[in-house]
Amino acid sequence: MKCEVCRELLEEYLDGELEPQEREQLDAHLIACADCSESFAVLMAEQEIFTRYDREVEVPPFLWTRVAAHTVSERGAPKRSWLAPSLTGAIAVLLLAIAIGVFYKLSRYKAPDLTVATTPSTTASPNPVRESVPSAVPKIRKSRPRVKPVTAPPTADQSDVLSSELAYLDMDEQDTAKHIEQSKMLLRSIKNVQISETDDEIDVTYDKALSRRLLSENVVLRRDAEMKAKFPTKTLLADLEPFLIDIANLPDRARPQDVREIKERVKKTEIVAALLDYQDRGANNR
Amino acid sequence: MNTSADLVTRVCQGDADAFRLIFERYSRPVISFIYDMVNDRAVAEELTQETFVRAFRAIHTMRAETKLSTWLFGIARNVARESLRARARANTHVDLADKSVMDLSDDKPVPVEGLLSKELNDLIRRSLAALDEDKRMVFTLKVLHQCSYEEIAAITGFSLAKLKTDLHRARAEMRKKISPYAGVGYEV
Repeated sequence: MKCEVCRELLEEYLDGELEPQEREQLDAHLIACADCSESFAVLMAEQEIFTRYDREVEVPPFLWTRVAAHTVSERGAPKRSWLAPSLTGAIAVLLLAIAIGVFYKLSRYKAPDLTVATTPSTTASPNPVRESVPSAVPKIRKSRPRVKPVTAPPTADQSDVLSSELAYLDMDEQDTAKHIEQSKMLLRSIKNVQISETDDEIDVTYDKALSRRLLSENVVLRRDAEMKAKFPTKTLLADLEPFLIDIANLPDRARPQDVREIKERVKKTEIVAALLDYQDRGANNR
Repeated sequence: MNTSADLVTRVCQGDADAFRLIFERYSRPVISFIYDMVNDRAVAEELTQETFVRAFRAIHTMRAETKLSTWLFGIARNVARESLRARARANTHVDLADKSVMDLSDDKPVPVEGLLSKELNDLIRRSLAALDEDKRMVFTLKVLHQCSYEEIAAITGFSLAKLKTDLHRARAEMRKKISPYAGVGYEV
């Protein structure tokens, strides 16, 4: 064996990846060649240094507790099916289709236009409700046109949404459909907000809290979609996420220009249309 | 029996203890690998958690011929890559190819023995972080975790040719950084 060949193979030799015949040839060459033997000794020394590398990283005792909380404690066992996976998937798709159909049917019997403003005690008007306040104090919009999302109210404290336990809830297709619907309502609400030149602040407390909850759900659903190779769903949720983040990060009383920016972006990117399209296409195309 | 294959079967049958055994057996190599990739202890903990949660959810999809450690490292690799991408997008990525790493190559005197271990660990950590992602992954799996080429190919999805090339280049880059500690001015 020539020295050049030997040196080319030295790393594989060290890694134990050579075929037996090559290994034997290299063994013989290393015995006979001092230069190559020295090169190999250097490689060995280098390997020894890396072997002694101590990252000082330990598995913290609480980690199993956290993992268990989202796995064995949550469900007892992974969803191993008594049904074949493909049949399970088909049933899930069917259920989603039924859920969307029922929702669509019900929505047609509700208010004729979900985007039109409704306020609790007044009839809707084109120029929505705004409280009269003395001109000396900043104007804060207390209420504004908002679609009532089909959702439970947000929980009290959502300041930690990004690390919330919600992040690992086991969600299925129906949850995705519900999530898309609620997100669509939220974004429509933002898209339809009337911002006047005289507004100093806009009260977005409700939207912000809702957005935080939806953001948390979105992260889980997006990962879930990715895991299950539902790429259109994953892409849509990935597109949705920046909007939820921006709304979630607004102060309770947001500056009009900040709200306007989000509003314009919702319009420009046609994210609402994308959400609608996703719903319209139905479960069979996903 | 507590072979990996048995543990997987038991987890699929709903045995929570079996999953705990899998965690106990593999959490340390997984967190080490992730730490090598992301160079952040807190992030490594979080991503290790994510890895095992994903593994639990998908364990029934694992093929019988797949080695559990390879499969777990594959998930860990995906989780780490996603995190690195997200950090890069958020511009929070810290470039660890810093001057102190470069300064330690070639001409610097070898530190005294007492400081060697800590400094060397720190140097290796920073030098790893300075490698590009593919090289870092291959180097970590081969040199620090002693995976075979076949396992690395299964974990990373790289061809044998690519992983050999990346590994050779990674070794060369790491060699430059640690050569003062090896005590020899060498070429391989």
